[in-house]
Formats: sequence, structure tokens, C-alpha cells
Amino acid sequence: MTISTAPVAEPAAADAPTAPARPPRRPAHAREWWLGAALVLPALVLALLFKVVPLVRGVITSFESSSGFGGSEFAGADNYTRMFDDPMVLTSFRNALLVVATLPVWIVVPLVLALLIHQRAPGWKFFRAVYFVPYTIAPIVVGIMFRQILSPDGPVNALLRGVGLEPLAIEWLNGRNSALFSLVAVALWSFFGLGVMTYLAGLATIPEETLEAAYLDGAGFFRRLWSVVVPMLRPTVAYWSVLCASGVLIWLFPLIYALTQGGPGDATMLPEYLVFLTTFQFLDRGYGSAIGIALFVFVALLSIFSVRHMFTEGTRKPR
Amino acid sequence: MFRRRLAGVLAAGVATAALLTGCGGDDATADGPVTLKVLTWEPGGTEYWKQVKTTFEAGHPDIKLEMQSVPFDKYPEVQGPYITSQSGPDVMANNAGLELFDRRNAYVPLGAKAAEINKDLVTYSGACEGFDTSKPCYGVPFSYQGNVLYYNKAVLTAAGLDPEKPPATWDEFGAACEAVKKSGKTCLALGLSGTFPAYWDFPEIARNYLTEEDVRALLAGKLSWKDPKLVAVLEKLAEITTKGWTNKNAPSITMLPDGADIFQRGDAAFAGTIISDAVNWEAFGKALGDDKLGVTRWPAIDPAAPLAQKFSGIEGAVYGVTQWSKKKEAGLEFITWLAGKENGELWVKHAKGQPLNKNVDKALLPSSPAFLKIQEFVAAPTLHAGVMLSGPEADALARGWQQVTLGQLTVDKWADQMQQALERSPTKKQTK
Repeated sequence: MTISTAPVAEPAAADAPTAPARPPRRPAHAREWWLGAALVLPALVLALLFKVVPLVRGVITSFESSSGFGGSEFAGADNYTRMFDDPMVLTSFRNALLVVATLPVWIVVPLVLALLIHQRAPGWKFFRAVYFVPYTIAPIVVGIMFRQILSPDGPVNALLRGVGLEPLAIEWLNGRNSALFSLVAVALWSFFGLGVMTYLAGLATIPEETLEAAYLDGAGFFRRLWSVVVPMLRPTVAYWSVLCASGVLIWLFPLIYALTQGGPGDATMLPEYLVFLTTFQFLDRGYGSAIGIALFVFVALLSIFSVRHMFTEGTRKPR
Repeated sequence: MFRRRLAGVLAAGVATAALLTGCGGDDATADGPVTLKVLTWEPGGTEYWKQVKTTFEAGHPDIKLEMQSVPFDKYPEVQGPYITSQSGPDVMANNAGLELFDRRNAYVPLGAKAAEINKDLVTYSGACEGFDTSKPCYGVPFSYQGNVLYYNKAVLTAAGLDPEKPPATWDEFGAACEAVKKSGKTCLALGLSGTFPAYWDFPEIARNYLTEEDVRALLAGKLSWKDPKLVAVLEKLAEITTKGWTNKNAPSITMLPDGADIFQRGDAAFAGTIISDAVNWEAFGKALGDDKLGVTRWPAIDPAAPLAQKFSGIEGAVYGVTQWSKKKEAGLEFITWLAGKENGELWVKHAKGQPLNKNVDKALLPSSPAFLKIQEFVAAPTLHAGVMLSGPEADALARGWQQVTLGQLTVDKWADQMQQALERSPTKKQTK
């Protein structure tokens, strides 16, 4: 077989869609444009005021050094270079990566539960209500509650000892790794109800007949989940993934505050808690802002792929 | 028609904005009493602060007090944003010492008035920069604070110990702890999550190794954490937990309220807390009975050390007028009253606290044996090393203690972390 090096012919002009002739501009179009601009303007102003301005202010502060609550001076990139030598910052981002590694659980657990509810498994009405209840409890209350539940002599360990699983009755909030994963588990308990609701909303858009057809074709639960539900729920999964990816890094503050305060040592120190600690307890606003900006970049990098995917899905033309 | 409606909506908006602006304006220019916003963690309890409000307002009909009460352990988180945004209360409080100095730019310096306002106080140096009354002072203290070791006489007796002779040395304390453990109780109630009690217990160990000059050097950031004296302090702090003298869950619970609860329930022999404001002889006496509550100095590691038999004392909460307040005169009037005899007597009567005002009627002082014993300790004060720690140092002290307790850190590494914390303390950097 030979490979031709001849230039490929341009597709026939007849195949190309002909550009429609531009209709003459009419005053109605101008009116529509102004109306559109007027409708968008409030949102744009709000976004600028409450998103862009604080972000820019944060960036500016991150280039300043301050002593206590006194004045500040320009510090160049000092705050950013300092981060690389600060073990607490490095540990907080290492912990953040460990938390991010639990994302599949955050995405899959609510999906499976939503599907079971959607398929009207026994007790589905009860579980639909019950799953959402933890989300309605203030995270600070959840933290205080679980500090008791997870204490060495708390109900979790009492239960484990009661059923003969004494070796599993560990000091949940005292271990280096167990404390971090206990924190994540408590966060998941607190937020998964929202995920179930989100997925249920997505599942409501999948035609019943499609799932029924798969069922009649002999597809089991996981086959239907993997081959029918997940592809059709892709935009919802992407949306929940973005929410979780950013959420696990910026929602946990009240839980950390009430449950561990970043300890023991730095075991549950996450960047968002460190920003707070550095700014308001160590009174180092510039450095706190720099850590905050680093966290912003970290979250943005994590989210960007999902957002791009969602954008592609959202703008794909129906075939 | 549309334009007329739009104009109506705009006019209503402007009127609402004007009204809202008016609400946030300066009360001093309006008729009627000035309303002072006071941020407080209510040291001494709610009843004392009710009395403060009622009594002060009765004597000052032109000033109303609006209290914003925040729990003690949440206070820095509420106050921090106010200071950063330079807005909020007209009068607020901080603990005397570095906590106050760190925030000094939020307060109006009292200047020459400081001496006049505080003339009847036993001491007020903790409200002044560097504990020096010739330097700027930022507020008014009215209570005295410090650390002691409370003990439950019944637990000591059950362990075969003499409750009238509590352990006076480190070795005696170790032996007492072994006896208490054998009796099935916890020796020392402790909660290490958060900066308490590292902040309270550190000075009690430090008194055995540091001189007053060392303590001042600690404040100035000139004493290295790798100095053998400070390393020795950390070693002894570590011993408290690594020798098993405390409750097992100490690293994951807070001292307030969890650790104190263990002692109040009668499950522990000792609790190292404070003399005023909260978790003091009054609260413990109520829980255990005044006759069962004993109080002693922390055991001496080196009884011959110059500060070993002293009391780490510090003025309690210091109330100052905020820089951004538009009601500074009224604020000054309120804090001046706080330093006075009338408030001193309210403090004794309702908070059962240690007053700073010298003119307080002695007949009002509580008759609790623990309170009377504390009077003996207070008579020989020294600088409180805990309040010399910056935010990063106090945080690293508490976190390091947790890690050492859990076997995740050595004392040498802890000292390294403390030194790093010192080096990133913004205010100490400034004073170097």
C-alpha cells in the first residue's frame, strides 16, 4: 500500500453551507440589544462588585506585608516565596490533595443512592427525606455532634466494641490519617444529601422507557448505572463534580473549626483554615491573602477540566 | 407612564438608602442618649454584665450600652474581622499582654489619662506596651488573672493521699498521679485542642527555668526557642501527657468546656485553670462543693528557682475604646467607670472575681477557702510567660503538644517548630 502525498482536495463548494445573506439592520435589533444589555447589566455589576473586586483586593493584599493590624507595605513576591519554606502551608496543601483523592466517593455514593431512590427501592420515600436531613443541620452543629460521637469512648467505638470489632475502635480524631479521613467522612455525611437531590433532578430528565428498555434487555443494576444512567447524566455528574471539587476545599471550614481546629498537630490543617488562622489569629494579612490566592488557583485548576467539559456538553448542538 | 413609575422606584430607593445611612450614623449628634456598642466575652458571667449595664446606665443616663456577647473561645474570630475592616464596636476587650499589643492599632491610646483612670488599680501594666506604664496604654483592666492548680479533695482521699498536703514538687506530683490512676480516676483533666491550656500551663513550667528578664526577652522575640531553658520547659510540658497523667482523649478535646467538665464531674484529681472569669474556684466550688475544692501552686520542678514560688499573674480582660468609634468620649467615660470602685464591687459580688481596685470593700470578698488561699498566692506575683507568646507561637505550642502527646513529634522538633513560629510572628519581628 502506498501513501499519497498529493494535497487533499478541498471539499466541493456545494458541500459547504452557504452563508445566509445578512438581513438589513433594523431598529428593532438595536432595541433588542439594549434590552439584553440592560438585563445583563445588574448581574454583571454584582459579579464585578462581589467577585472581581474582592479577588483583586485579595491579590493586592497578597503582595503586601503587614504587622498585626497596623499598616502594610509592598512586599513583592515575598509572601508567595515564603509559602514554599513554610511546612504548615505545604502540609495543608498535601492534606488538600488527600481530600481531593476522596472525590470519587463523593461522586459515586450519592449517585448510587439517587438511582436506588429513583428506581423506587423499598422505603425510597423514607430515604429520600432522611438523606437530605443532614444537609439541613448547620455544619458547626455537625462538628460539635461528631466530636462527641467520634471520641474514644463515644457511641461509634461503643458500637464497634459491642459487635466484637474492638480493633476497629480506634481514636478517630487523634491519628494523623484517621483524623483527616474522619473529617472527610463527617463532611460527606453532611453534604451527600445535596448530591442525592442533584442526581434525582438529573434522573428525572431520563425517559422512563430508556431505563425500562435496558431492564427488559437484561441489564442489571450496575450495567444500567454504567451504560445508561451515567452517559445520560453526564452534565449532572459534571456539575456535581465541580461542586464537590471546589466544595471539599472550601466548605470544610466550620467542620474543621468545630471538630479538630486543624489538629492534632497539623493533621487536618487545610488551606482554607490556614488562611483564617494566618489572617485573624496570627494577624498576618498579606501572607493569609497569599495562601488564599494559592488556594483559589488550586481550586480553579481542579475545577477547570470539569467546567470545560460542562461547557462543551452545554454548547453541543443536538444531532 | 413607565418613566413616572421608574422615577417613583428611584425616589423610594434613594429614601431607603438615606434612612439606612442615617441608622448607621453618629449617635452623638442625635438627640437622646448615645448608644455604645460593647464587644465582650462576658468575663465574670452574664449576671455580672447585666449588673454592669444596669448600674452604669443608671448613673449615666446619657449613655446606653449595647452588649455584643461572644463566647470566650470564639472571640478572636469575631473580633478579627472588625479590626481588619476598621468598623464595629465602640468599646471592646482583649486579654492583657501580647494579645492586646498585637491589636494595639485598633485602640485609642489613653496617653496621660491612663495614670489618672487607673490610679486606684493594684496594677495596669498589662494594658501598656511592653508591660511598661510609661509607654502607651490602650485600655482598662479591672480583674486579676493567673493560673493555679485546683484539686478535688475527695479524689485525693480515695487515692490514699492527704488532701491538706497537695504535691508541692514535680516528683511528688508524679507519685500522686500514679496513686490517682490506680484508684481509677484521671490525674490531670486536660483538653489540648485549641491554644488553651498550653497558654495556661506553659508559664507554670516556665517559672522554674526563666527569670523575669528571660520572660521580657520572650516578649521581645529575643529568646530563642532552641535555648536550653525553653527546651527544658517543653520537655516538662511533654512529660505531663507522655507519662499518662492526663485523660486519654486530651489531644482531641478542648479544655473549655470538655477538659474542665472532667474535673467538674469529679472524674479527675487536678485541673490547671485560672483564678477569675471562668473555670475558676467559683465554678468548681459550685460543682464539687467548696469544702471539697482545694487549690495549690503548680508543683515546683526546681523549688530553688527564683520564680518557682511566685504567681504568674496578669491583668484580666482590658477594655479600650476603638480607633474607629465616633463616640470616643462616651467610650472613655465607660472604661473609666470600669476601673472604678463601683464596678470593682460588682465584680466581686456577681463575678466572684479577683478585683484590681484597691478601694473595694473587703467585707464583700468571698469566704471560699479556695479564694482565700488564692489571695496568698497573688501576693507574690511575677510576669505571666503565656501572655508573652505571639499568635503563631501559642498555636505552635498547642499543636506541638498535641503531636508530642501522640508520639508524632520529638521535643527537639517541637522546639524547631516553635522557633519557626517565632520567626513568622509579625509583631515580634517588628520589635526585634
